Amino acid sequence: MHQEKAKVLWNREVGPEYYRIGLTCDEGYSSARPGQFIMLRFPGRITPFLRRPFSIHQRILTDGRTTGIELLYKVVGAGTKMLSRVQTDDVVDILGPLGNGFSISNAYKNIYIVAGGIGVAPMVFLASYLEEMGFNPSRCTVFLGGRSTDDLLCRDDFLRIGMKLHITTDDGSAGDQCFVTHPLETESEKRRPDIVYACGPLEMLKCVVGIAEKYAVPCQISIETMMACGIGACLGCAVERKGASDNYMHACMDGPVFDADMMKI
Amino acid sequence: MTRKKTNLSVEIGGITLKNPVMTASGTFGYASEFEHLMDLNRLGAFVVKGLSLEPSKGNPPPRIVETACGMLNAIGLENVGLKAFEKEKLPLLKGVNTPIFVNIYGKSVAEYAELAARLEDIGDVSGIEVNISCPNVKSGGIAFGGYPETAAEVVRAVRKRSTRPMMVKLSPNVTDITEIARSVEAEGANSISLINTITGMAIDVETRRPKLANITGGLSGPAIKPVALRMVWQVAQVVKVPVIGIGGIMTAKDALEFLIAGASAVQIGTANFINPHTAIDIIDGIEAFMVERNISDIANIIGTLNLSPR
Repeated sequence: MHQEKAKVLWNREVGPEYYRIGLTCDEGYSSARPGQFIMLRFPGRITPFLRRPFSIHQRILTDGRTTGIELLYKVVGAGTKMLSRVQTDDVVDILGPLGNGFSISNAYKNIYIVAGGIGVAPMVFLASYLEEMGFNPSRCTVFLGGRSTDDLLCRDDFLRIGMKLHITTDDGSAGDQCFVTHPLETESEKRRPDIVYACGPLEMLKCVVGIAEKYAVPCQISIETMMACGIGACLGCAVERKGASDNYMHACMDGPVFDADMMKI
Repeated sequence: MTRKKTNLSVEIGGITLKNPVMTASGTFGYASEFEHLMDLNRLGAFVVKGLSLEPSKGNPPPRIVETACGMLNAIGLENVGLKAFEKEKLPLLKGVNTPIFVNIYGKSVAEYAELAARLEDIGDVSGIEVNISCPNVKSGGIAFGGYPETAAEVVRAVRKRSTRPMMVKLSPNVTDITEIARSVEAEGANSISLINTITGMAIDVETRRPKLANITGGLSGPAIKPVALRMVWQVAQVVKVPVIGIGGIMTAKDALEFLIAGASAVQIGTANFINPHTAIDIIDGIEAFMVERNISDIANIIGTLNLSPR
């Protein structure tokens, strides 16, 4: 974990209100794991006051070395609005890589990845990481959902790797008109995966966890909470454990990826 | 030409600090969280997260909200408890040459005193900060710090059982903070730190729910700095023990304001979240300020508010 001033390599709009920003960074990110995040701040600015957490979307490689990271974000508030206005060569202050990341076992054969809306951000890193680890992409299935076709991002990233893709939208403008959990359930019934990885809106995650429980499949979810520091000092990002417990977990240190059977969702 | 060495060291109720910059309780974890981001040896002192005899779960989430130039928190003093602090957290700081203050709180006067007594046996602890000002717990905290009599009762009980340098942390959520300051000084406080957070709240207009599960929380950050500065100035005038200024300090200039107002040292709180390196930058900034103005000793800054006619 370290703090550094990162130069902006690019900041491109990739859809309505969706952007990809490339940042130079230290070699320390070569050991970053999918699911880990960074805390970003605009140097010298008092507003927005707190750092903003962003999961790592991709590593940027130059001659096989990690020379940067890319974030994928949606403009949802003052912080992301300001980020969308950042120009190439501007500098942002980043702290990372933080958190635990998805845990991956070599024993997994069939892997399901579920992403809703901007929840796809860490899943592209996960997909390319699985590819690097030698997993057979044809046995990885991605369930990608969004409100409409504009909210479906990174389709090509998964297809390029060779993963199977199920697309759903709320309005039917692309793929099947249903929730992303619908094909997840159908496919789970046909063939149980060894693991389900999910990131997206809370309601989607609840449903994914329900399906994983129903088919007795391990499930890891990446969650979002309010947090101030990202390093375990503020204790703002408390996450309730499943069942009675004497303490909370914290999204910054124990997460942001949790085993679904550990947390109360 | 050799420059005269700039002296930043200050004396805080029985402890000499190499510089007047400490980190505030609840914003710096158990300090080890920050060791990869800075040289902990450079700090004047640090105050670890509020400790209780038994582990405490804290409040349910959501616990924090961003506000204009600050944040609200209602953590509720989540902590690992004395046993785990001694066995798991304190050993991580072995070899760090910076005084450690342990912020303590109890649900009863007896609990404060018992905790203070148990800390007597722990060698690596340099001092205690008695927290009679947390606004986010139902019993303890502000329940004691709100009145001169109850504040005095806690400090008296702790003093009986503790020989350690004792700092007492005051709440701004009172009618007259100088009364509380005087009462804790009279009972043997070696120094007084202020202010804890200011009670506040925030509401989501769509759901009409409070943004914090605890409904109210404590406001911190630059939004509260003018209030903190005013209170530090008021308290510094009525007590003889050193005063430690806390509240929205983000820069060396902010820290200098508190020193000029009469604080012998400062604590950096919320700024640690924004930029973990803040405390170090402030130490460097104070030193640079002194060098530029040929001030050789920090004592020549503390309590030098100029009130002569303009």
